[in-house]
Amino acid sequence: MKITPIIGLEVHVELKTKSKMFCGCDASHFHADPNTHTCPVCLGLPGALPVPNKAACEWCIKLGLALGCTINNETFFERKNYFYPDLAKGYQITQLQKPFAINGSLTIDGHKIRINRAHMEEDTGKSVHVGDETLLDFNRSGVPLVEVVSEPDISSPEEAKKYLVKLQQLIRYLGISDADIEKGSMRCEPTVNVCIDDQYFTPLVEIKNVASLTGVMTAIQYEINRQVEQYQADGITKNKTNKTTRGWDADHQRTFLQREKEGSADYRYFPEPDIPPIIFTDEQIESIKLTLPELPDQKISRYQTYGLSDYDANLLADTIEFSQIFDKIVSSPNPEYAKFVTNLLIGPLKTISLSLEKINPIYFKNLFDHKSELSSTAIKQLIIDSYESDIDPLEIAKQKNLFQVSDTGAIETIAKQVLTDNPKAVADYQKNPLSIGYLVGQVMKASSGSANPQVAKEVLEKLLN
Amino acid sequence: MNLNQLNLVEARQGLISKQFSSKELVQSCLDQIKKNEASLNSFVTVSEKEALSQAEKADLSKPLGGIPIAVKDNFLTQNIKTTASAKVLDNYLPQYNSTVVQKLVDAGAIIIGKTNMDAWAHGSSTETSDYGSTKNPWNINHLPGGSSGGSAAAISADEAIVSVGSETAGSIRQPASWCGVVGLKPTYGRVSRYGVIAMKSSTDSPGPITKNVEDAATLLEIISGSDPHDATSMDESSWKKPSTLPNLKNIKLGLPLSYFPKEIQPEVKAAILGAVEVFKKLGAEIIELPDILDPKYSIAVYTILQRSEVSSNLARFDGVRYGHDRTFFGQEAKRRIMLGTYSLSSGYYDAYYTKAQKVRTLICQDFDRQFQKVDAIIQPVSPTTALKIGATVGQSMFGELQDMFVEPSSIAGLSGISLPCGFDNNNLPIGLGITCAQKREDLVYQLAKIFEDNTDYHTKKPQL
Repeated sequence: MKITPIIGLEVHVELKTKSKMFCGCDASHFHADPNTHTCPVCLGLPGALPVPNKAACEWCIKLGLALGCTINNETFFERKNYFYPDLAKGYQITQLQKPFAINGSLTIDGHKIRINRAHMEEDTGKSVHVGDETLLDFNRSGVPLVEVVSEPDISSPEEAKKYLVKLQQLIRYLGISDADIEKGSMRCEPTVNVCIDDQYFTPLVEIKNVASLTGVMTAIQYEINRQVEQYQADGITKNKTNKTTRGWDADHQRTFLQREKEGSADYRYFPEPDIPPIIFTDEQIESIKLTLPELPDQKISRYQTYGLSDYDANLLADTIEFSQIFDKIVSSPNPEYAKFVTNLLIGPLKTISLSLEKINPIYFKNLFDHKSELSSTAIKQLIIDSYESDIDPLEIAKQKNLFQVSDTGAIETIAKQVLTDNPKAVADYQKNPLSIGYLVGQVMKASSGSANPQVAKEVLEKLLN
Repeated sequence: MNLNQLNLVEARQGLISKQFSSKELVQSCLDQIKKNEASLNSFVTVSEKEALSQAEKADLSKPLGGIPIAVKDNFLTQNIKTTASAKVLDNYLPQYNSTVVQKLVDAGAIIIGKTNMDAWAHGSSTETSDYGSTKNPWNINHLPGGSSGGSAAAISADEAIVSVGSETAGSIRQPASWCGVVGLKPTYGRVSRYGVIAMKSSTDSPGPITKNVEDAATLLEIISGSDPHDATSMDESSWKKPSTLPNLKNIKLGLPLSYFPKEIQPEVKAAILGAVEVFKKLGAEIIELPDILDPKYSIAVYTILQRSEVSSNLARFDGVRYGHDRTFFGQEAKRRIMLGTYSLSSGYYDAYYTKAQKVRTLICQDFDRQFQKVDAIIQPVSPTTALKIGATVGQSMFGELQDMFVEPSSIAGLSGISLPCGFDNNNLPIGLGITCAQKREDLVYQLAKIFEDNTDYHTKKPQL
């Protein structure tokens, strides 16, 4: 039996705008006292009216552009009508017919995942269940959300994870959201079914309550297995009305049925009469485009032109902050220098949380220019010390006497002494020339590490032969 | 003459020249309310104590300083019960003021009470109020019209100096017409909807109901203007009343022939044609509009769009947050919610909602064409004078039929007014409709003012 998973992802991203989507309330709700960030609008009081947040709309367009979407010049909001205690107005303001952004894509390992849309909507309040009671917190009500909907182009749980990581990286590059899955500022709802033997499709299942990246993978994998088993048992295939919603139970690592007949849900969408259509001219869209930073894929290919490996380029482009540090230090494509800096950044400096401002490119350049006179251990320590003290590493090297002596005369004096002091090692060498390492070590020790080990070895060999 | 019978201009003069105090003025209105409420029922709430205490510290330097005003009960008033005449909100005390109320309060006005209306503004009679029908001051066996029937009756009966109402399709102009007062329906977006309990969001337009044209204009100056809390409010500062009146020789007035169907009450038709003669004598050119869209099309458009929006707008009254649950919705609200839910349902949406929106566009385009030919349209507001109490019973389309002459202009978001232009054989008032393009309240005011200056219908008062 051939099994082909078909996976689409709906991702909700909470924008970190200062105020909410349709009112002036503080949009940050994590850890705020319940119902303190509220007003008539986000409480849905009688007579209250929504006024769209311009920054949020622009950020949605920004994300759309970063995903390679077409931006609709004229968009409008719609009402999605349904009852739920934490939905204050009895409808959610969202977009259906004309989202801000359509037809984009994200490429994962050379595989293009099409993106259907990125649209703007508002978050709901939160229901908190305590014993038999349900408490309502409207701090989250009206927080701006962008929903990014992929086409069902994802073919494995691993690819789903990569898609999410990449989307998360992009969103963080744009600085429009923390995109933190654990904190709920990025939420993911996979829709999964399976194609069996290239001809039978199992019924669609939307998975809810997945709260981690690993959860997304395991939930999708669980669902693939479950659907295959189910198909083998009942042979039921997908139709217009048998889409179901299943919750992910992380404790028991399984999905469970939440709602059946998803196809018959009727949200009675209609254009939101309280908000006039929103127009963005080509010029306005172009000026938003100009605010886009260099995106991860662009960074990675640029780093590759510097001669850096795939691996290095990806590491450097991981976060915009990290790549900005690299870019500040390496301003021109010199492969040797780029590799040198990369090794420092992903080596000794990795454990330090670097600030872009504190980085002094000259220190890196100076170290690079004198790297032949310094041991690799010294270089590693010097870059840390110079970053922390803001002193030129060459200055520190001088003070600590770390410059390696390549002067054969000086090394010869030390080497002669070492040979005199270590007759046993000399005897060993006569039997096995490979044991010279010990003597080189002794020269290094006697020179307090300042001798160039290569030169020391050559001098010793000369004296011994 | 009692103080409560004064209009806004007179009351302001009296207050400023210290002929009487704001407290005396407010008390005079309260006395009138006490005397007549049992028979008229214009108010859901009378805020006697608050009004009197406000009157004591009235700031006469403000444009409405010391003036008692009646406010329709769908405008949120902070700490004054606001029900929209619906039992669901029987005990609702708003936490904030609607923009209109805030502007009135800032201008020094004193809220004397909240006026009765059709529950949720669903109707044209005030008979569907959950707090009992308001009666027409001209004959208490007749309806005041609606939905702003309480405001119109209160002004007609001199229970307040001025009032505000709201119109979605006729709810200012039709009760003004039936009660013999002035009702001005501003362009959609001219006056903020923030804090007005939403009925049909896409046409809801708050506006003044007053004793004369001048007062309506003064009130509009105060309540109009762009509001950062209302995304559909016009991007214009407050409206300014023109300081001069035009020579009618330069004005073309349109007579929409399809607005005089054979069902129209003959006295109404005669009164409107009489008004046309008044304008003609003053030099206006009268142009017949033979091809204006028949207003009957608006009935269907309005019904579908309004029910659709109502079904969504009333969803927040879900019994979770407000005093009473959904079993407290009256028959009319339930009917509208069900019809609106149906017309928005998948499979029916295109046949109803989408089609209605297309016809709405045609109606707007038709008005654009007509206003290329004429400056204003002269029309009947209602096909009849005030109908008898009980006329709505079993008539679920009562309002839509009653308002068919004003629905097209509401759907198109135009500006318009109703002002007294005669009486029928039973001494019930008849309203003259003047309709202008969007943002042409200047011309609405000027034409109405000229008509009023040349007639005396507005000086007639009901015998209470």
